[in-house]
Amino acid sequence: MKTKGSKSFSMSRLGAVAAVAFALVATTVPSAFSAGEVFGRKCTTEGVSTGTSSTSLVCKENSAGKLTWQRVRLGSGSGAPVAALRALPGTIEFHHWRGAEDGKIFDEIIALFEARNPGAKVKQVTMPSGDYTNLAFSRIRSNPKAAVFATFRGSQFAQFAKGDMMTDLKNERFTRQNVIATGLTAGQYEGKQLGIPLHYLFNNPVYNTEIFAKEKWTPPTNFTGLLAWCKAAKTAGYTPLAWSGGFRPNAGQMLNSMLMNSAPDYATLLQRIEDIDTGKADLQTAWFKDMANRYKKMADANCFPDNATGVTDAAALNLFATGKSPVLPTGSFSMGSIKVLNPSMAGKMQLFSLITTDEKPQYVGIQNNTFILSVNKNSSARDQKIARAFISFLMTGEIASIYANGTSQHVNVLNVTYTNQDLINTSIWQSKKTLLAPRFNWLNQGVRDLMEDALIAIVGGKPIDATLEDYSKQIKQKLG
Amino acid sequence: MSRATRRTSKNRRAVQGSKTALYWMSAPALALYAFLFLFPVLSNFRYALMKWDGIDEGEFVGLANFKKLATDDDLATKVLGNNIEFMFWVVIFQTVLALLFATYLVKNTRASLFFRTLFFFPTILSSVSVAMIWLFLYDPNYGAINSTLVRLGLDSFALNWLGSETSALYAIIFVQVWFHTGQMMVIYIAGLQQIPAELYEAANVDGASRWQQFKSVTWPMALPTSAVVVAYTTIQSFRAFDLVYATTQGGPNNTTSILTTMIFQTAFNEFRFGYAASQSILMIIMIFLITGLQRRILRTRY
Repeated sequence: MKTKGSKSFSMSRLGAVAAVAFALVATTVPSAFSAGEVFGRKCTTEGVSTGTSSTSLVCKENSAGKLTWQRVRLGSGSGAPVAALRALPGTIEFHHWRGAEDGKIFDEIIALFEARNPGAKVKQVTMPSGDYTNLAFSRIRSNPKAAVFATFRGSQFAQFAKGDMMTDLKNERFTRQNVIATGLTAGQYEGKQLGIPLHYLFNNPVYNTEIFAKEKWTPPTNFTGLLAWCKAAKTAGYTPLAWSGGFRPNAGQMLNSMLMNSAPDYATLLQRIEDIDTGKADLQTAWFKDMANRYKKMADANCFPDNATGVTDAAALNLFATGKSPVLPTGSFSMGSIKVLNPSMAGKMQLFSLITTDEKPQYVGIQNNTFILSVNKNSSARDQKIARAFISFLMTGEIASIYANGTSQHVNVLNVTYTNQDLINTSIWQSKKTLLAPRFNWLNQGVRDLMEDALIAIVGGKPIDATLEDYSKQIKQKLG
Repeated sequence: MSRATRRTSKNRRAVQGSKTALYWMSAPALALYAFLFLFPVLSNFRYALMKWDGIDEGEFVGLANFKKLATDDDLATKVLGNNIEFMFWVVIFQTVLALLFATYLVKNTRASLFFRTLFFFPTILSSVSVAMIWLFLYDPNYGAINSTLVRLGLDSFALNWLGSETSALYAIIFVQVWFHTGQMMVIYIAGLQQIPAELYEAANVDGASRWQQFKSVTWPMALPTSAVVVAYTTIQSFRAFDLVYATTQGGPNNTTSILTTMIFQTAFNEFRFGYAASQSILMIIMIFLITGLQRRILRTRY
């Protein structure tokens, strides 16, 4: 006779088996599809995939060494995805920084949410990213109606967590079952799941595949090759990297690539970053100086635009969107904005591996889990429930697909189908060896700003030693 | 008690009664003032004595923030210098240009009205719009200013306007002057229109030239207006946060940082609210000292 305990034991074993089977991250199951016949084009690039559902396809080498379309299956680690929670009637605010880029898609998604949850209303409140970094904390803290909000990975998330402003979402089924497990770490703080990152993006430069094909270029695979390519691109009349030295938030994105192969291992890299962040080391350390030197070498090889320190974000985007520059060193998050400026760029973008070492690189790209969605702890119980329902809605495959394809952002959600050609093209990066964006490991924004300003100044022509000494002094005074 | 004495005491009671009523009537306004102005200012003084990140409980540190500000903060010294330089040039150019335009456009002719509208136009734009317009104009590679200079063969004058430490502050000063001169011109026109026409007629009869008329009639009579314009421009220069933030965010290398952008960065970017409070007190003191000095100079000279 079976006891209640043994029944629950076997049920849990069954659940565990199912979970393990489902928990394969980026594991593929051979498909019955014949190679090269899917989507009207051949499977030629390993890693290209069409989504995160079990029916999605990934271009992968089979046992015979031939590239074939196979089925992809990503796991959350804890069971099959669940449906969205039901929302109570009421109105909440959703605060984030991507109004210009994602506002319209969020309007559509919110309309769907409201239609399926009669009486529930969500109002978007947005600010540009720079303002959001500075002002979101004080605005959201004094506004309990801001029941759902997004934070950047790194200093902003840490600040909200320290301010005890987020509820723990660890035990929500949609957290455990709808999200790609590896993407959850960016929203964890002291053992709690205080937010769920929606974005799975790549902070690698974006390149124009049409120009590269026309000029018969291939992305360089080492630092010497990069410098040579910059010189060749400049000679051909292009601005090699459309780098916005006049706008620190985006100029700093390239730092991720500069950092990724700069230390012998990840732990050492994190330690070095922490040392500068806390004042244990300054910018004059050999490691940082070496990186500053690489910036200088890139500037000398004409990688950057003329008058780089005066190039704004808008000017850099325009350089790339109009084909004057073949590479935009920001990240996949810029692809939506580029297509707004020049719709014909759709399908012509790929991610560029910015390798700054001549040795075998440890990493070939940068990945980041950000746009971390949280529920405001200061909101009323009713508003928190609506907020949870809204986040769970965003974490369903159906809605995440609408968001991803409408905004050209890869997402951290299971059962997503990518139909956007740029997402399909760049999904190859999900299978490459990428590093979690190290720039956001600087938790002191003031220190990070000064450190990035020092590098911008060096690109602008300031001498390395004097600049690093000057900015080290400023950082010391700031931390003192 | 005589009838006169009774009347006096009755009057006194009536006066006292009306005074009390006045106090009561002004109480809501005073309460609002105290809540919206006095309380934040006094709180700021309290925070300036604390080490506070805006999240945890603050720690009382006495005058340590002020000591650091005075002795161990090169950035604050640099920013204060930037702000004084910014104010100096803005006050000079804005006041002189506003007075010049007002002098020429004081008469209500059609041409004057057209040019007044033209010069006043930038004032109605938002600071962020103005910043965006000038960011495009100043673009070092594709901006209209450098393109024009290059077409005219003046390549050596084509600068990295906002990206170079040597030109960025002056580029923003120019924008600030362009942005607000029209507003000051209108104040001057209102002041100049109050000057009695007889004074100019008398000067004409005496054979005074236009410059002499300006020196001996217009300027002395416009002095009260100038005091207002100079004081207002000074305060405006210390508060030019949005323009600086939207164009350069204080860069490159803090060469365009002014006190307001520094305070904002310290408080909302670095979460050093206590230190930012002490910086804002420095700003209050600077505005107080400089406007006081200006009033004194204008009073002493005229």
